[in-house]
Amino acid sequence: MKLFRKKDDLYLSDKQPLSISGKILLIITYIILISWAVAIIWPLFQMVLSAFNGKQEQYLMLNDQFVFSLKHFEYLFNKTLFLKWAKNTILIALATAILTLIIVSFTGYAYSRYRFKGKKASLMAMMLIQAIPTFAGITAYFTMYSVISSINPAFTRQLMLVLIYAGGGIANNTFILKGYIDSISTELDDAAKIDGCSNLQVYRLIIMPIAKPMLALIALWSFIGPFMDYLLPKVLLTSPESYTLAAGLFTLINDVRTLNQPAFAAGGLLTAIPIVILFIVLQKQLVSGLSQGSVKG
Amino acid sequence: MISYNRFLYDDIGNKYKRKNLYLLEIAELNEKIKVGGDSKKELELQLNRLIDTRKTHPYNIKLNKFKEEEKVFLKSLKTGEKDFKNTLDKSLPYKARKLKIQLFIAEEKYKFYKDYVDLAYDAKLEYEKNKLLKEELPKIIEYIVHETLAIEKALEDRKKIDLNNENKFKLEIKEFKREQKEFLGEEKRKLKEKRERGLISKKAQINEAKILKQKYKEAVALKSYDSPLKMNKEIIKSKKHGIKRNTKLNLKILNSNISDIRRTNPIEVEKRRAKIAYLTFLFPGVGQIFNGQYRKACIFLLASLFIYLIGIPYALGFGNYQGEGIRGLITLAEGGRRVDKSLIFMIEGILAIFFVIISLFLLYFSFKDVLKVEKNTIKGIRPKNWFETKSILGEEGFPYVVNLPALIVIVFMVLVPVTTTVLLSFTGMDPNHQSKFSWIGIKNYKMIAMGEGLAGSVFWLTLGWTIIWTLVATTLAILLGFALALLVNNDRVKGKAIFRTIYLLPWAVPAFITIMFFSIMLSPNGAISQLINNLWGISLSVKTNATQTRIALILLQGWLGSSYIFLLSTGVLQAIPNDLYEAAEMDGATIWQKLRRITLPIVLFQTTPLLVGQYVFNFNNFSIIYLFNGGGPFEPSIYGNLAGSSDLLISYIYKLTIEKQYQGIGAAITVFVSIAVMFVSFLGYRNSKAFKEERL
Repeated sequence: MKLFRKKDDLYLSDKQPLSISGKILLIITYIILISWAVAIIWPLFQMVLSAFNGKQEQYLMLNDQFVFSLKHFEYLFNKTLFLKWAKNTILIALATAILTLIIVSFTGYAYSRYRFKGKKASLMAMMLIQAIPTFAGITAYFTMYSVISSINPAFTRQLMLVLIYAGGGIANNTFILKGYIDSISTELDDAAKIDGCSNLQVYRLIIMPIAKPMLALIALWSFIGPFMDYLLPKVLLTSPESYTLAAGLFTLINDVRTLNQPAFAAGGLLTAIPIVILFIVLQKQLVSGLSQGSVKG
Repeated sequence: MISYNRFLYDDIGNKYKRKNLYLLEIAELNEKIKVGGDSKKELELQLNRLIDTRKTHPYNIKLNKFKEEEKVFLKSLKTGEKDFKNTLDKSLPYKARKLKIQLFIAEEKYKFYKDYVDLAYDAKLEYEKNKLLKEELPKIIEYIVHETLAIEKALEDRKKIDLNNENKFKLEIKEFKREQKEFLGEEKRKLKEKRERGLISKKAQINEAKILKQKYKEAVALKSYDSPLKMNKEIIKSKKHGIKRNTKLNLKILNSNISDIRRTNPIEVEKRRAKIAYLTFLFPGVGQIFNGQYRKACIFLLASLFIYLIGIPYALGFGNYQGEGIRGLITLAEGGRRVDKSLIFMIEGILAIFFVIISLFLLYFSFKDVLKVEKNTIKGIRPKNWFETKSILGEEGFPYVVNLPALIVIVFMVLVPVTTTVLLSFTGMDPNHQSKFSWIGIKNYKMIAMGEGLAGSVFWLTLGWTIIWTLVATTLAILLGFALALLVNNDRVKGKAIFRTIYLLPWAVPAFITIMFFSIMLSPNGAISQLINNLWGISLSVKTNATQTRIALILLQGWLGSSYIFLLSTGVLQAIPNDLYEAAEMDGATIWQKLRRITLPIVLFQTTPLLVGQYVFNFNNFSIIYLFNGGGPFEPSIYGNLAGSSDLLISYIYKLTIEKQYQGIGAAITVFVSIAVMFVSFLGYRNSKAFKEERL
């Protein structure tokens, strides 16, 4: 029995035991980390709370009175066009993601695997042009839209938005995907070509399946973009019917006629939850994708 | 002096002797003259005589005779082909019939050209080509016929299959499936037992189970082929596929063999200088027709159509929506109708310019193509046939074709609008000149630079705040994020996953939501204002005090932006190998030294482009400014009524262009911002590894 007791006292970790100052430092570290966590959670928690607080009317209140109620959600669904906005946003986001994927998967492959005239220059030019805020073209977008739509009435403002988003993302995404495809060994291509694959077959059967993780990331980024963007929808979309979530929710706190801050909190919550879940689930891939694209590329 | 080369060359540089004796004679004379000597004059005379008697040169007479005979032969071949077609067995598959006709032609041609092999390369080419066809086509035809017969037989067999047997077989398969499933269950149980006894790991169990399942599926699939009906169907399917695939493949091989023959039989022409390219350069496609590349010509004719039906008419003002093509760019609808808008004229002018650029490019491209083919022809290289063109297009043209959609989207969605903005900055578009405005030169830029006028006066103030904001807010976010990443990455800190998940939130929640919510909470009776009031007794007036707004904005951006940096640095920190630190510890490095000499350099090196991107992002961070306080608080005494004290250049531009409609001066500021941003990004990208890599 004595033997066993001794074993309990043994220090088994491969790290050095902490000195007193080390312990204090560790405690300080914890304090900092926890207080930052609180600084993040508290405002978000306030948002959740106010979305469910039935004690408030048009304005958000922070007081001790809290009555659980779903009335803000009811307001959101019945009195505003929230569902329509959500649908618009999802449609725009989907279209953007698909268009971006189609365009970028080809350019990424071409820029990674082929030599052609003006390759480096064009990529650099694209990256620089991309740095110009989308905003720079806004006056032109307006007029271009009115010209195109008068020629072809089927061309909606949302379609214009999709094209702008897709066009704006080409350079960056090409760059990221190029970096990823560069890391795929060209021996695979060569082997496939020896077996008689055409360029398109190499693209379809070899490169795309391997690059799937990065393609998924690009699709995800392009999909989330329209959820996050507020400026372009606000400027380009004119009727509340065609708003995206960002533009629509803004009317709930900015427009006196439709002012309802708790409903905004509720809507914000509903918008944020799916995205947050997506981010948490995919956090590893998101982060590695981000650094990979720009660094290893 | 007329001169020819004594040899012909193919595209890999092999030499071939001329067959055209007349040209050869000239070439030989040429060479002699070049060597010079006493008889130079005489030789030149001889050459001239030779050229004068071109028509009566024995070789030319022979060649002409051959050509006439060839004409007659081809005519008779046509009627022969028709007759042959009628004698063909109609029950043969379409493809086989077509190939049989080809075979017939090949045989006839083979017989005809056999006698002229020594006369000209064209004849030799035809001879060799048709010889190959004569040998290869029967095999292909036989394969098709054979397989077709096999399919017919299989179809015949299917009628004989007893359907009762089929039902019985279905039961059999069911039984088999059940057996196999039982077996599968048994095996899985065994695996589970093993796992419980701790013999294998969980992963191994799962993998083994997967393999077993695969085996089960394979066994069932294999068994299902015991059914005659299924077997029969499969045979037909595979044969049909085989016919399609193999015929295609065989023809491809045949075609590439023909290409080889074409290469080794150079073309021989009397032409010495490329003319067609210069004569037809205005009409892409025509030159290709002269070169005998008809299908290629069709593609280039499309380019012609584009140029003459879209490009040029549009540039001249036809088919415009409202404008006048390129001319509209100069006039800007001056003196036009009331409905005419200068902006539309401008955009259509820009479009017209892009069309013209595309047209010029197409002209040049086609010209180059025709010229190259012509020059090659003179050297002896045959113009590529469609099969060869196609394979070249698939190889070298691939990146261009594939990048085309991106190019189109970028031209119309990025370049045209950006050009419009650049041009707008030289016009006087303002609230009083909305539909009609005119060029005013660099007045807008002057106003901005001198800080004059309505918009110019606030420019420098705004720029100052923009720079402060960019530097302070971004740096704060980077420091915060990096510090947090370092702390969390400490070995002794527990609950890393929880911290990471929480710290991810500000990045994951859409920024517009958090910004708006903070804006509400920081309003006079908002949650945070009240909290601070309760805790410290300070009454905040964030929304009306410029300094407080600015500080709040910077803190808020620190809150928002640190999340991204945190995740980024975490990723990099985790990838740093531990032995670096262990080695440093051995050598007695302190924590501070380890941080400064190992961690910082690695993290900085890997993330520089992204950090530069963060500065650029904040320079143009419209959302946070506009959504938080609308750029306010407004101080008309300092800022006039166009901007607020927390406005960045980007939100200032927004107000100028969208809200107050000073598009001209707004565009000028946009150009300024864009150039600044492009310069900074260039610095960032230039040093990034991606651009240094040699593969690019």
